[in-house]
Amino acid sequence: MNGLIKNTNPARSSLRKHSKIKAGNSLLISALLASVLGLAGMQSFAFDLKGVLKEAAEKELGKSPETPATDAGQTQPTTTGASSSENTAAKTSEPEFNWKNPSKEEEIALGREIAGNLLGAAPLVKDTALQKYVNSVGRWVASQSERPDLPWRFGVIESEDLNAFAAPGGYIMLTKGLYRKLSNEAQLAGVLGHEIGHVVKKHQLKVLQKQQLLNIGAGFLSDKYAKDNKLASKAIGTGAEISARSLDKSAEYEADRLGLSYATRAGYEPYGLTEVLQTIGQTNKNDGSVALLFKTHPHPDERLVALGDAIGNKLDNVKNGKTLENRFYQLKN
Amino acid sequence: MKSKFKAMFMTACLLPVFYGSAALAAETGTALKNDTIRKEPYADAKSAGSFTRGESLEILSKQGAWLQVKTKKSTGWVRLLSVKRGASSAGSQSAGVLAAASGRAGTGQVVSTTGVRGLSEQELKAAKFNESEIKTMESYTLSADDGRNFADAGKLKPIAFANLKAAKGDTK
Repeated sequence: MNGLIKNTNPARSSLRKHSKIKAGNSLLISALLASVLGLAGMQSFAFDLKGVLKEAAEKELGKSPETPATDAGQTQPTTTGASSSENTAAKTSEPEFNWKNPSKEEEIALGREIAGNLLGAAPLVKDTALQKYVNSVGRWVASQSERPDLPWRFGVIESEDLNAFAAPGGYIMLTKGLYRKLSNEAQLAGVLGHEIGHVVKKHQLKVLQKQQLLNIGAGFLSDKYAKDNKLASKAIGTGAEISARSLDKSAEYEADRLGLSYATRAGYEPYGLTEVLQTIGQTNKNDGSVALLFKTHPHPDERLVALGDAIGNKLDNVKNGKTLENRFYQLKN
Repeated sequence: MKSKFKAMFMTACLLPVFYGSAALAAETGTALKNDTIRKEPYADAKSAGSFTRGESLEILSKQGAWLQVKTKKSTGWVRLLSVKRGASSAGSQSAGVLAAASGRAGTGQVVSTTGVRGLSEQELKAAKFNESEIKTMESYTLSADDGRNFADAGKLKPIAFANLKAAKGDTK
């Protein structure tokens, strides 16, 4: 049980060094998958997370043979006396991560863990000029959002997949493969805007919060702690299917609307994001480079329709937006 | 016979004109939704017909946020986002196929097809935290002032524009 309890505090960097942190890492990575959003979907994430949770729980529960491992991922309380005491010890040694209402600092620390793990899978492209350019565009777009105060940072990562990711607190990454498909700065602004939208609306953070509160409800934390969380009972009420598909889809559509809005406010040609969606939509479905993206997001066609409906005539008077293809940074390889 | 030859001649002359006038000439597209085709690229222009979702069409030109399209029955202007560039993929049906192919076997394909370091589910799960990379990424962090200077250099002017909201009746 001890290992799992530690997992509920993944934002603490010291935890990384903990010998039992492996399960925590995979949980975070799984969260990444989901949230990471970029252009991706959160629905699969929920399922992945459930699987990881179950795996981790089974691993832990293997030490207590009286509990059937298959119950681990469900909402049945499985607390034991031993785990409660360990939990108490863990809680007193370090301050509790406030899952109910994380501070900005906690959000950033959590995002750092997630982003660091993603960079473990795909490091930054070693091109300082590229990274600086993307940070310039991203920072300007983020300044048009509702959270200009976050320490926004952006990175292009070594992968030929087409995808982009956001982690809580303002960590945003896009793949070199996706960057390669872009032809001007307005398109880049739209893509980054989508990810910024996820961070602003705390889409990933909320999924993680739900999952953690579910853990609490499932008895991975002490009863006392669980009773303090009204949200926990709500999470249990919906069973393990914490994130309904429709809810996850709506987060993507919302990020699309926000991304386009931010880029437009920043002075860019508003249709940059939709051009990228057109490009992605034309990519062969069997191309492995879009497998994860298509799995985790609504189809680009649906996103275009939803954006078109939301736009209506609202862009009819928006003119003189810039595309700035002239200063768009060209990849070296 | 004579008129037929004349028609062919005309067509031969017109073709290059078509190709030269717009980069979009002869590009095919697919209607993403049911929409009205307008005689002019304006929302209040008179109707020139309509198309239905999934219908194939030809994209003739682009003007602002409007595309000039040609369907079997009519020619006119529609909003940019009513059309998907490229041939029909039968809309949601393709999404279904995708979903079916996106299991673990599907993501495994990422590795085999690209041959590059991947972001498959498995690889993401196996990833280890990289402290030096995250520090490098954080070293690029810019201030709001940096962003403004960059915008000024590109003559980007911020404008007032309210966040888009979901269209009424839109399914979540």
